[in-house]
Amino acid sequence: MILRTFFSIIIFLLPTTQGFAHHSEAAEFDSNDPVRVTGVISAVEWNNPHVWFYVDVSNDDGSVTTWGFSTAPPGMWMRRGITKEVLEIGATINVEGSRARDGSNNASGRRITFPDGSNVFTASEGGR
Amino acid sequence: MKLLMSLALVSLFVSAAASAQNIPRTVSGKPDFSGIYTPPATINATGPRGNLIFNADKMAPLLPGAEALLYEERNGDPYHDEPRAMCLPAGFPSGMLYILPIQFVQNDDYLVIIPELQRAARIIPLDGRPHREGIEPTYYGDPVGHWEGDTLVIESVNFKRWILDDYHYTDPTRNRWHSDQLRTVERLTHQGDSMLYQITIDDPEIFTEPFTQDFQLSLRPDWEALGLLEYVCQENNRCAGGSCEMSEAQQ
Repeated sequence: MILRTFFSIIIFLLPTTQGFAHHSEAAEFDSNDPVRVTGVISAVEWNNPHVWFYVDVSNDDGSVTTWGFSTAPPGMWMRRGITKEVLEIGATINVEGSRARDGSNNASGRRITFPDGSNVFTASEGGR
Repeated sequence: MKLLMSLALVSLFVSAAASAQNIPRTVSGKPDFSGIYTPPATINATGPRGNLIFNADKMAPLLPGAEALLYEERNGDPYHDEPRAMCLPAGFPSGMLYILPIQFVQNDDYLVIIPELQRAARIIPLDGRPHREGIEPTYYGDPVGHWEGDTLVIESVNFKRWILDDYHYTDPTRNRWHSDQLRTVERLTHQGDSMLYQITIDDPEIFTEPFTQDFQLSLRPDWEALGLLEYVCQENNRCAGGSCEMSEAQQ
C-alpha cells in the first residue's frame, strides 16, 4: 500500500499526455479507440523495446479474454522508481489505453489503477 | 576610474578562471563529459516535441527542388515510414535526439557516446587522427573530435542517406531524410551540471547553408546506480508495423 501510494504521488510529477517510445503510437494503436478493462494480471514481459503485461478479463458468458498492453521500456519505468514487482501476477487491476489498429486484443497501456484507487502512469514520456 | 575598471576586469578574470576550474577534467586537464545525462531538451523550443526534431523555422533554406529530398511521403511500408519501429538503426543525428538517457564515457584518447536507445555507441577518437578512408557510408557516420578551448568539437562524415529526425511523429503523412552528403559538427560545452550540445547540419544536397540548433543535456548522477539498460529492439517488438503477433500468454 505504501508503495502504491508512493507511485500515485509520482503520477503527479509525470506528463499526462500519452507518449510513445521507439515507434509511433499512431501507426500501431488508435487513440480514438479507447480501451478500459478490469482483470487479473496473468503474465509480464519486462523487455525492450516495451514492457508488456497481460490481463485476463472475464466476459459475461463465462469466457476469458487475455488483453495485452504495451507500455514504456523498462528503463523508463525504473527511472520513475517503479519496478516489475508492481505488476504482481494474480493482482486485479484496471487498465486504460488505446486499442491496436489491427483489432486484436492488444492496446497501448497508459495507466494502471489498483483496487485501492492508487495508480501508475505506464506510457512512455514525450514532449519534454 | 581606471582602478575601478582594473578591479572589474580582475574580478571577471577570476570568475571565469574559477568557472573553468570547476568543471570535471581528465588527467591531462581536458574537460571530462563522462556521466549519464537526460535526453536532449531544446533550448527555446518553438514547436511540439521540439526536443526530438529540428525546428523548421531554424533550418537553413532549402535548395531549389530539394524538398523532395528532405521529405518523403509515407508509402505504407513500415521499413520506410518508421524504420526504427521495425528495429532498423536510428542513425545519427536521429538516435541522439530521443527520450532515453545517454551515457558519455571519456578518456584522453576517446569519447564514447552511448544512447540507451539501441545501445548504438559512437566511438570518437580525440587524438587528432583524420577521418577513415575506404569505409562504406554508415548510419552513424565517421566521427573525429578535437578541442577548441574547453569545447569539444566532433565532426562526422560518410553517412548513408537515412532518416534525419523524428519528424514523422508530428506529421503522419511524411518523414524527413538527410542525404549521403551530410556532414555534422557537434559542439559540447560544460554549463554547470548541464551540457550545451550544439549540432550543425551541413547537407549541401538539401540546404543552401549549414544551420545549427542548440540542445541541453542535464547530468543525472542519481541514474548511475541503475546505469543504462540493455536495449534489444527485436526482443519484444510485438506490434511492429501495426500488426500484433499473439504472445504466449494469449495463445
